[in-house]
Amino acid sequence: MISLVGFANLLFSFLIGLIIFFSYFFNNKNQISRTYYNLVFFKFFFIIVSFLTLIYAYVVSDFSNQNVFENSHSDKPILYKITGTWGNHEGSMLLWLLIMSGYTLFFIFNKNLKDNIKKLTITFQTSLFLLFAVFVILTSNPFLINSINFEEGMGLNPILQDPALAVHPPILYIGYVGFSLILSLALAGLTFKQIDYEWMNTAKKFTLFCWSMLTGGIALGSYWAYYELGWGGWWFWDPVENVSLMPWIAGLALVHSLMITKKEKLLIRWIVFLSILCFSLSIFGTFLVRSGILTSVHSFATDSARGIFILIIFLVSTGFSFILFIFKTDDSEEKLKLLFINKSTALVFNNIVMIIACLTILLGTIYPIVIEVITNKRISVGAPYFNSTALPILLPGFLLMSIAPALSWQNNKLPKYKSYIFVFIALSLLSFIIVYLNTFNVWGFIGISLGLIIIFSSLLSVYFNYKKFGLRNFISQNNALLAHIGVGILILGITTSSVYKSEFSETFMINEKKQINNYSYTLLKLETNQDSNFQELVAVFSLYKDNKKIAEIKPSKRYYNVSKMITTEAGIYHSWFQDFYVIIGNEKDKIWSVKIYQNPLVSLIWIGVIIMVMSGFLGIRKV
Amino acid sequence: MSLRFQRLLLIFLSLIFLTASIFLILFNSKKNLIFFYTPSELLNSKTQINDTIRIGGIVKKDSLKNIEDNKYVFIIHDNNNYVRVSYTGILPDLFREEQGVVVQGKLIKIDNIKAERVFAKHDENYMPTSIKKQLEKNKYWNKSYQ
Repeated sequence: MISLVGFANLLFSFLIGLIIFFSYFFNNKNQISRTYYNLVFFKFFFIIVSFLTLIYAYVVSDFSNQNVFENSHSDKPILYKITGTWGNHEGSMLLWLLIMSGYTLFFIFNKNLKDNIKKLTITFQTSLFLLFAVFVILTSNPFLINSINFEEGMGLNPILQDPALAVHPPILYIGYVGFSLILSLALAGLTFKQIDYEWMNTAKKFTLFCWSMLTGGIALGSYWAYYELGWGGWWFWDPVENVSLMPWIAGLALVHSLMITKKEKLLIRWIVFLSILCFSLSIFGTFLVRSGILTSVHSFATDSARGIFILIIFLVSTGFSFILFIFKTDDSEEKLKLLFINKSTALVFNNIVMIIACLTILLGTIYPIVIEVITNKRISVGAPYFNSTALPILLPGFLLMSIAPALSWQNNKLPKYKSYIFVFIALSLLSFIIVYLNTFNVWGFIGISLGLIIIFSSLLSVYFNYKKFGLRNFISQNNALLAHIGVGILILGITTSSVYKSEFSETFMINEKKQINNYSYTLLKLETNQDSNFQELVAVFSLYKDNKKIAEIKPSKRYYNVSKMITTEAGIYHSWFQDFYVIIGNEKDKIWSVKIYQNPLVSLIWIGVIIMVMSGFLGIRKV
Repeated sequence: MSLRFQRLLLIFLSLIFLTASIFLILFNSKKNLIFFYTPSELLNSKTQINDTIRIGGIVKKDSLKNIEDNKYVFIIHDNNNYVRVSYTGILPDLFREEQGVVVQGKLIKIDNIKAERVFAKHDENYMPTSIKKQLEKNKYWNKSYQ
């Protein structure tokens, strides 16, 4: 019964979407009426009611709904009943629609844009909404009703029952789907040839918001992979990770391009191109993941009809956008002020670097598909390809990043360039010594020196800004530098945790003590816990340094009764300088196999990401 | 420096950068591809000893042996041929005999692979598409795996 209500609301929302779409052709195009506001509001209202009914069906475990039956169980904790709503394909697509409508509603209250642009943007956005709504209704309806009555559901995949993964999809989607609004805005601006200061400003705010959310979403997923998959790493260049990285990079390029045009109204076509690219990559990623074309550890239950449908949506929206892009030429003949090293050049170069990096990742991701179609051989492109291709390409961009915000728009001069050169040389030497005293590694040297150079030259620029302007507009003056400091910290974390990671395979008996890499570990005891939907076996390890106990680490194994699945939970002790990461394996004659990783400075990765996201949000406020 | 000269310099640098990237892509994509075979395909392939490959198939019944602490050997088969696998480390939770598995590692003998990584099915509903297709071909696909 409740499923019918949900489905009816979805249909209402779809119908209102149709009305909004067609009203554009029969109404005054330059004015937004009261009714129009109401229509946009009710489109959102019905979809949110629809979504809430689905959540309700999950909470009360209404197994007459097929989607609930397939993905839930009455024993699950209430949190995972709620988050299970978007833990599957159908529910997550409904969330997609909800977020799309939410953006439209949010956008209509924008006061800076003219009504004609707003109205056309909403029309474009609504047509995208309609495409996806048809997709949901025809191929991925979460409100299907079971023909047989079931007493109990099949349960949610245990590895998804995790707090980080519970909030990961909504945050990620707010990022991904938000790019649709930027696409619509770009198309509307292109049609009216009205890409002016207000347009830039609105686009910049939305792009920053989406990009920050996407960053947070990817980081959450990555953090989850770190402790749940038990592989000791946090990024595996898995296709699903790659497809999220591509719109992220394109969005980053867009954020930077919007900076140039804020100062000099130029490069408009490039910005429109990037806006189209961001959402196209988002849909393309969705297509790759949901169609089951790619083999990935994160695969959703797949269905070829869905894949074809998303491919059609992708072709229609991207095709239309690029055709509009080609035919609506801009007449502005202003020349870009490209000097050898001024800010515009740096930003243009940054864009070139990012697009090429994006392209290499795209190639590596779709290459297996192309090869399989052509030669019928199955291959996979491993992490080494991405590491040894994308990273060197990004290097010059990273190097430039350390000074770019301090460059001038007008001339070739970098103020106080001597201090930057000093920072560059001193820190390169310092990191060379650091790396040399540990085990020497070229990547370690490059990464550590880059990270340090970026952090300290940015700090230097902050200091110069402070001396020049004082505390007036301190945040808006230094926000870009703050983001770059975040990147520097991130690079440090990535480098140290991947290059200087140590990995040990050991066996332990109860009360056995083993010395590993200056620390000793003892397996104190094994405990069993009974939770509402799983049984847990916890191994309690003590960690000693110089015979002094510093922490207890509790890796565990969980057995989920419903799905009859075992999951491994890593036990992690985060100290300031390194993570102690322990996983327990099988037991044989009371001997437990154990895997231990010591990952130096992993926490810098999360700190760097938090700084970047924070700076992204601060940038939204700055006008 | 004149404006024209500065631009030329920029274009020149960008071109160098582009060429370098293309070179990197071509070079690395040739070097870092990992081919995926079933045991039968491996026999007919041109794989050399010491190549890194992936093998997918079913873990043979009663073939899993724990020869030392953390050291395992088992056999992957596709109903016609088989490959022996040795692996040091912790096997995934979902690793079971008579179930689908993919291993990645170095070929040390014609029918022997030293695995660096073992991927088992992610959950009871999931099977890597790549194995599924191959097993369907070899008529070793049982609907219950789905």
